[in-house]
Amino acid sequence: MAAFDYAPAIALLPFASFVIALFGGRFLPKKGALAGILATAGSLVLSIWMALTVAGGTTYNQELYTFVAAEEIDLHLGVLIDPLAALMLIIVSLVALLVHVFSLGYMNDEGEPGLARYYAGLGLFTASMLGFVIADNLFMAFMFFEMVGLCSWLLIGHWYRDDAPPSAAKKAFLVTRFGDYFFLVGVVGILATFSTANFAGGESFPTLAEEALAGGTDAVSTFGFAPETWFTILGLLVLGGVIGKSAQFPLHTWLPDAMEGPTPVSALIHAATMVAAGVYLVARMYGFYALLPTVLAIIAFIGGFTALFAATMAVVKREIKQVLAYSTISQYGYMMLGLGAGGYVAATFHLLTHAFFKALLFLGAGSVIIAMHHNEDMWDMGGLKDRMPVTYYTFLAGALALAGIFPFAGFWSKDEVLYEALVHGLNDPLLLGAYAMGLLAVLFTGFYTFRMVLLTFHGEPRSDTARNPHSVGWSVKLPLVVLGTLAVVTGFINMVPVAEVTGAEIEFLHKWLEHGISGVNSEHYGELLHDVAGYEAAELTPLLPAVVSLALALAGAGLAYTLYSGSDPDAHTDRLGNAKTVLMSNYYQDEYQVWLADATARVARAADTFDQGIIDGTVNGVSSVSLFSGSRIKRVQTGIVTNYAALLSLGLVALLVVFGLLGGWF
Amino acid sequence: MVPAQYYLVLSAAMFCIGLFGILTRRNALLFLMSVELMLTAANINFVAFSLQHGNLTGQVFSLFTIALAAAEVAVGIGIILVLYRSFRDVDVTQATTMRW
Repeated sequence: MAAFDYAPAIALLPFASFVIALFGGRFLPKKGALAGILATAGSLVLSIWMALTVAGGTTYNQELYTFVAAEEIDLHLGVLIDPLAALMLIIVSLVALLVHVFSLGYMNDEGEPGLARYYAGLGLFTASMLGFVIADNLFMAFMFFEMVGLCSWLLIGHWYRDDAPPSAAKKAFLVTRFGDYFFLVGVVGILATFSTANFAGGESFPTLAEEALAGGTDAVSTFGFAPETWFTILGLLVLGGVIGKSAQFPLHTWLPDAMEGPTPVSALIHAATMVAAGVYLVARMYGFYALLPTVLAIIAFIGGFTALFAATMAVVKREIKQVLAYSTISQYGYMMLGLGAGGYVAATFHLLTHAFFKALLFLGAGSVIIAMHHNEDMWDMGGLKDRMPVTYYTFLAGALALAGIFPFAGFWSKDEVLYEALVHGLNDPLLLGAYAMGLLAVLFTGFYTFRMVLLTFHGEPRSDTARNPHSVGWSVKLPLVVLGTLAVVTGFINMVPVAEVTGAEIEFLHKWLEHGISGVNSEHYGELLHDVAGYEAAELTPLLPAVVSLALALAGAGLAYTLYSGSDPDAHTDRLGNAKTVLMSNYYQDEYQVWLADATARVARAADTFDQGIIDGTVNGVSSVSLFSGSRIKRVQTGIVTNYAALLSLGLVALLVVFGLLGGWF
Repeated sequence: MVPAQYYLVLSAAMFCIGLFGILTRRNALLFLMSVELMLTAANINFVAFSLQHGNLTGQVFSLFTIALAAAEVAVGIGIILVLYRSFRDVDVTQATTMRW
C-alpha cells in the first residue's frame, strides 16, 4: 500500500508550485516555470506509479480528512484511485507538464508580462484538476470543479489590460457557473437522498441507488417520488454542471471566447482540465447514470447534436484557434454521445486520445502563432510547411487524428464511440438519431480540419510575416514531438475492429477498465446498462461502420483539398450565402443568451424593487416612526430641575391613586 | 406618652414643606435645604415606628440615614459650586444646556 500513501501528493505538488510562483515567482530565474515543471513532472511520475500499482490489481479508496461529521451525513476529503482515475491522472499530469514546458517558449521567450501570476494560475489549475480526478466523493469533486472554474477565469483573463480577455473570462465563469448551480443542487439532493456522496464502495450512492431501484433498501428517501423519477431528476441536475464545463449545447458559448487566453492555457483547458472535467464526472459516476435510461438518452442526444452543431460552425472560421475551439466542443460531444450510448470504455478512450491530439493541435497552433507574431488569421498564413517542418508534421499527425483517419489515434476512439452508438441505437430510435448526427459530423470534421491545415501550412505565403516567420525554440518543439508521437500511437491500445477481425486479445483499454473496485468497473456498468437501463446491443461487425465513417472523413478531407489546395485559394465561404452569416454568428446563440440574460435581468429588477420597496420599506418605516416619535417625546426633557420634581411628585400621586383604587382603600 | 400618629402628622407636614420648597424655589441652596427637610421627615417616621413597635431597628437605621445625608450634602454643595462656576448663578432654571 506504500504507493497510495503518496496519492495526495499528486495534487499537492502542483499546489506547492502555485504557492512558490505566487510568492517567489518574481525572484526566480524563469518566474516559476521551473517549479511548475518539476511539480508536474513529479505528479506524472507519481501517477505512473499509481497506474503500475493499479495494474498490479490493487485499488485505493480512503477517507483522509473529515470536516463535517454530522449524524447522518459526513463531508470529507478522500482519495479514490482505480483504473479510470489512474488513467486520467496520467493524461492530466502529462499534458500539464508539456504545457508548462511549452509556456517557456510561448510566454517567457516572448517577454510576456505577469509571468509569475501566469505560472501560479497554471499550478493551481493543474492542482485543482488532479484533486478533482482523485476525489472519492461527489462533494469533494464539486469543490475542485469550482476551483477549476476559478482558475479558468484567472488564466483566460491573463492579459487583463486588453478589452476582450477579461470579458471572455467573465463569460466563461458565468456560463459554467450557471451549469454549476444545477450541479450544486444535485449534490445537495444526492447527499439528502443517500446520506453519502461516495463514488465507490458498498455504501456509495450508485450502489444504494441500484439497491433502491431493485426495491431493496429503506435507507434511501426519495421525497415522495418514485425512485426512478427522483434519481432521474438528480442525474439531470448533476448533468447541468457537466454541460456547462464540457461546453455542451446550449452552454457551449463560453468556450470559443475562451480563446482570448494564452494558447498554452487553451491547450490545458481543452485537452486535460476544465472541459475534460465534465465528461470525467459522468464517467466517474457512471454507475449512477447507467441506471437511468432517460438521462442516458438525453446525454447521448445532446452529445450527438453538439458534435454536429459545433462542427458546422468550425467550417467558416478564419482564426486557427476558433476552428480548434469548435472542434473541441464537437469532440466532447462525441464523448457525451459515447457515454449516453452505453460506450463507457469508448468515451474514456476518446477522452484519452482527444487529450493528446487536441493538446498537440493547440500547442501546434501556439507555435504557428509565435511564428506569425501573434496573428491568428489563417488567411494571412500559408506556406508554413517548409519554414517550420517540426510543427507541420506534428500538427498534421494531430489533424489526422482529429479527422479520424486510419490509423491515427482519433480513428480508433471516434469509431468505437460511433460503433457503440450504432449497436445500441439499432434498438432505440433516439440513439440512432444521435448516431446519425455524430456520423454526419465526421464529414464536417474532416473538412474543417484539412481546411485549417491547408490554409495554414500549404500554398503560398499570403503575408510578409508568413514569408519570414519567427523561429521557435526547443521548448516549443519538444512537447509537439512527444504529443505527436502519442497522437499516432495511442490508438493502438484499443483496436476493437482489429481485435474483432483477427480474434487477438488486444483491447487493452477494455481490460484495463474491466477490473478495479467492484461496482465501479466497465463490466458492472455493462450489466447495469443491460439489466436496468434495458440497453440491447445489436449484433454487428465493427468493420462496416468504421469503413463508413472513414469514408466520410476522407470525403470531407477531399472536399477541403479540392477547395483549398491551390497556391492562393479562394475563401469559398460566400457561396454558402445566408448560411455563412448564420454560421459566422454562431447560430446567434450569443445574442439569444444575452436576450435571455436581459429577460432575467427584468425579473431581477422586479425582485429588487420588491426588496427595496416592500421588505426594506417595512424596516425603514418602523425606524422612521421611532425616530419621529422620539424627536417629539424628547421635548419633555426641559432641563429645569423643578419640572422633573413636579413630574416625579405627580407620578407618585398618580401611582398612589391607582394603587388606592385597585387595592380598595377608598 | 405621645401617640405615634402625632409624629406621623409632623413628618408628613415637614415632607410637604420640603416638597413645596423644591417645586417653588429657584435657588439651588434652598433646594438642598428642602431635600434635607424631606429626609428628616423620613427619619422622624423611622423613629416614630421604632417607638410604636418597641424595637431599636428604626432608630439605628435613622442614624445611617443621617450619615448618608451628610455625604449627600457634600456632593450637593459640590454640584452647586460647579453650577455657580459655569453659570455665574445658583438659579437652577438657568442650567438647561444639558438636555437633548
